[in-house]
Amino acid sequence: MLKRSLFGAMFAAALIAAAPAPAQQLTVWHDLGDNGQKWFAAMAEDFAKSHPGVTLRATNYPTDQWFGRVTAALNTDTAPDLIFNNYERVIRIVQQTGKVMDMRPVLAGVVDKGFISEGDLRVASFDSKLIIIPIQPTQMALGVRKSWLDRVGEPFPTTWEDVKRVAGKFRDGHPDGDPNGKTFAFALEAAKPRDLIHMLDLFIFGAGLRHTLLDPAGNITIDEPQHEVVLEEFLKTYTTYKFVAPDTINHSFAEMYQFIEGGRGGFFRVGDWNVNKWDSQAINGDFLVGPWPKFFADKANGAVIGGMRGVAVPENSPHKDLAIAFAQYMLTAPAQQASLNIMGAAIRKDLDIAGLSPRRQAFAKPNWTLYAYDFPESVQTWYPELEAAFHQKLMAAISSPPADWKAFIGKTAAEMRELAKQLAAKKG
Amino acid sequence: MGLTARRWWRGEAVFYAFALPFAALTVIFGVWPILLGISVSFTASATALKAVPTWVGLANYATILADPGFVASLWRTLLYAACAVAANVGFALAYALLLNSRLIGWGRGLFKLLLFLPVVTPDVPGYVVWRWLYDQTFGAINAALGGLGLPAFGGIASPSTAMLAILLAELWHHAGFYLVIFLANLAICERALEEAADIDGARTWQKTLYVIIPQLRPAIVINTVYALIQFLKTFTVVVVTTKGGPNGATDFLSYHAYQYFDQGRYGEATAMASVLFVIVLGVAVGVYGLGERGRA
Repeated sequence: MLKRSLFGAMFAAALIAAAPAPAQQLTVWHDLGDNGQKWFAAMAEDFAKSHPGVTLRATNYPTDQWFGRVTAALNTDTAPDLIFNNYERVIRIVQQTGKVMDMRPVLAGVVDKGFISEGDLRVASFDSKLIIIPIQPTQMALGVRKSWLDRVGEPFPTTWEDVKRVAGKFRDGHPDGDPNGKTFAFALEAAKPRDLIHMLDLFIFGAGLRHTLLDPAGNITIDEPQHEVVLEEFLKTYTTYKFVAPDTINHSFAEMYQFIEGGRGGFFRVGDWNVNKWDSQAINGDFLVGPWPKFFADKANGAVIGGMRGVAVPENSPHKDLAIAFAQYMLTAPAQQASLNIMGAAIRKDLDIAGLSPRRQAFAKPNWTLYAYDFPESVQTWYPELEAAFHQKLMAAISSPPADWKAFIGKTAAEMRELAKQLAAKKG
Repeated sequence: MGLTARRWWRGEAVFYAFALPFAALTVIFGVWPILLGISVSFTASATALKAVPTWVGLANYATILADPGFVASLWRTLLYAACAVAANVGFALAYALLLNSRLIGWGRGLFKLLLFLPVVTPDVPGYVVWRWLYDQTFGAINAALGGLGLPAFGGIASPSTAMLAILLAELWHHAGFYLVIFLANLAICERALEEAADIDGARTWQKTLYVIIPQLRPAIVINTVYALIQFLKTFTVVVVTTKGGPNGATDFLSYHAYQYFDQGRYGEATAMASVLFVIVLGVAVGVYGLGERGRA
């Protein structure tokens, strides 16, 4: 009897030992839309080859909801295993929760990482911690309708003077071929503080300058000689030059995209994530991409790295070790190739780009200068408040253009200096 | 069990037994979120969602009251609400009186339907169409004005006309609801009083002003209170059409607070929402009280 019981127990133990490891499901929350879902599904399939039984549940949230959802989940210990988003949004999660792990030890565990530059790490760090593993730099260049250029007999413009000449033709003529249609030179946005300042960032950094409003030392930059030139021309684009539709003052991203895809604006911002769609849909490949226009002889113009998307692991991730393994996996060649193919961006430089369209190749292996945005909020946490005040001043000027732009910029700079001093004193 | 207790048990206790689950639901889903929202306004934003938040007393209220943007938004909201209530209730009242008069014969049903249809139209698509109507390039409104040789209307693209443009869009969307309330009240008005006024030789305007409108007091009070609540909280039309612009011209309190939520500044955002809640509650109760006192 005892013998039979022992055999039974041993048989049961052997069965348990031989059974496959229990299935585990990782969760990741992102805001990348349908393409993001496809990308995470592709990575999950590949990751499962080395981690049998592990599945990944990716959930896509609209950006606003992603922020609130992640903040609440991390603060209430109901966090997902991984979060994926732009660096500046993860900064806000860090500030709101303090529950995002320092990813330096995670990155230290990755052997193949030589493609990550110091600059990449800088835009992934906050408060002396690495808050994301950098996965996808987001690159933004200047786009222009090719058929419009052909109709007005112009090549892709290089300097700001060229852009203004072509823009005048787009504004005054019928570059879309419709004699009854009304076209505009630029598709921009202005409604929210980040909308307008983001567009200004592209003009400033694209011209080879740094620090749109505030430098790391806390100095206001808008009235420095070259900054002043770009800012004045930028504001005239919205006003004096009439290069944008009057309703642009209420346009945010959704309206700007509608304007671009509806064929109403000739020049527009092209992000690397836009190209895949615009190659085949909406614009149907009718566009050229290049660097932002050159403003100054002593400054090389270029495209702008406007952000870094990356993966972070919450301190209270339910499957922390496995989440770390997946975060490390996202830097491998298969995961990065999927990122490039599906999302249009990847941090690795050794990927196969032969299958990409010429425009996607232009982003994957750029032959233009790249300028990385400086993320003032990572140094001065009060920057969003300063930016909101700056936005108000710019919107007031766009609504009622001043007679003397230089005087306006000088006065605004003085007011921003005063406000920056107050904010720095209040918030440190 | 005595006779009184038994009667109570058979009567009121049964009522309370049935009412209790709904009362509990009201407290859980109605009152509790309000109290929770107000409590967040006393916490530091960064810790607002934590199990043990950092309490900061009235600091968030002090911050928002010192913010010129908030104060401007508050005044803007009060101005807009006053104008929108007057426009909506006034228009619906005039329209209802017109429908009730002998001026309109067979088309009465059609006119009712025309004004009520926007009420059942979903907010967002309705306001998207208004945004297109106001578009400075292809909008139908300026096309029509141009066709008539009139100057263009700035619509939502100009700070000086944006509030009016929003008010018109909201009038289109909401006036039908107020109309229905007025028509319901008109249906129960005492016809004998109108006939007596006719016999006494009262003119149409005298009959309207001194006989019909006083009988519409209940509908006027209800509509005014409801409209005040609605327009003090104006939000959707702003999100869809102007996003608070241009240059803050339509940055009403709800949207202003929403922007703070968007920045993760929960403490200040809920402080603004709490201020708005107190104003809405105070104004609504005050107007309702005035209406009731007038009736007495």
